[in-house]
Amino acid sequence: MRRSTIRPRRRPESLVEIYEVFRRSGHKQPFEHCGSVTAPDVGMATVMAKECFTRRGEGRHLWVIRRADIHTWSDDSLPDPAADKSYRFAHAYRDVVKKRALARSRAQADAR
Amino acid sequence: MTYEERWTGFEAHIDGGGMVEAGDWMPDEYRAGVLKFIEMHANSEIMGAIPEREQIPGAPSLKRKMSLTAKVQDEVGHAQLLYRVAEDLGKSRDAMYWDLVSGKSKFHNVFHYPTFHWGDAAVIGWLIDGAALVTQASLLESSYAPYTRVLKRICAEEQLHLRHGEDITLELASGTDRQRAMLQDALNRWWLPIIHFFGPKSNVDKDLLLRWRVKTRTNEDLRAEFLDRYVPKVLELAFELPTPVPFKDAASERWVVNDEDIDWAPLDAIKKNQGPETERRLGLRRRSYEDHRWVREALDDQTSQAA
Repeated sequence: MRRSTIRPRRRPESLVEIYEVFRRSGHKQPFEHCGSVTAPDVGMATVMAKECFTRRGEGRHLWVIRRADIHTWSDDSLPDPAADKSYRFAHAYRDVVKKRALARSRAQADAR
Repeated sequence: MTYEERWTGFEAHIDGGGMVEAGDWMPDEYRAGVLKFIEMHANSEIMGAIPEREQIPGAPSLKRKMSLTAKVQDEVGHAQLLYRVAEDLGKSRDAMYWDLVSGKSKFHNVFHYPTFHWGDAAVIGWLIDGAALVTQASLLESSYAPYTRVLKRICAEEQLHLRHGEDITLELASGTDRQRAMLQDALNRWWLPIIHFFGPKSNVDKDLLLRWRVKTRTNEDLRAEFLDRYVPKVLELAFELPTPVPFKDAASERWVVNDEDIDWAPLDAIKKNQGPETERRLGLRRRSYEDHRWVREALDDQTSQAA
């Protein structure tokens, strides 16, 4: 195939930045990350985000945030806490059924 | 940790069903492979918009013009999502776009062919989108997490496109003799490119993308699923499919084609960017890249004024 002779013109460092987009379909839902766009400022990023992520009415509210302003954290060891912290979860209180039966029989004994 | 140790750890992570995020450590081969794969997908979305755009003026009603226009916008939107994911792997959009228009990078084989009439819109919208959906649905299980997230959205929209294509097909299939002839003509021309769409038999031992679950299924496996699912749908409308003629395999009771019946020469030419429409379509892309240069520059200027 014949190659084009046009070369990309060297531009000064592009000022376009990455913006992360979060979307919410209504007041009962949380905002969810839905993608990112590139734009020179937040106004243009919002225009792009609306066109890219709400074309079919999927979102009623958008957050558009410069990626550089987002602080991220992740830790794969998170599921294994150093100490037993099961008391923070409902399953730690499963024997409440047994305890209820016990308390009932005690109450009946007292009534007699 | 040495490079080899990290590599071993990475493979163990993948083998254990782990996913990879853009900021994670990954072997250079993984980064380059995923980047090339997603870049090709993005190129295909944006190049695929061209043959469909060509159909808009010839669409038979205002409603069909509007729905096809919306579909073209969706395809360009998919390209935007995919280029963003690819950019985060380390290649700028400008560089990817430049490699596309200068013929250095590739796009899917089916977009190297001409379109002639509304029958093409039917076959592209139904069978080619159907083939794309079989492939893309398999990629939802890919190990590269940012890719799977955009694919979820892309597959949802492709489902709609498939329904839209089936709607056009069924309208032609239940229409006049001339409408049915248009559909048959398009099927005759598109059948071999659709078979090629999935690519030649995968080399399972050598394909790093399969080993690292970037791709989850072999080319022949995806082609087999497509054939078994779509051949009966075409035949029940009383249309014929040309070479490679599909038949129902007696043992497996699945619709298949004979591998020996597939002529791979046209695909080999397309891989060298020497397809029937390659030059003209890339020319259109190049022209729009040049015509829209002022938009990109104006966007940059706006910031320098605001700053």
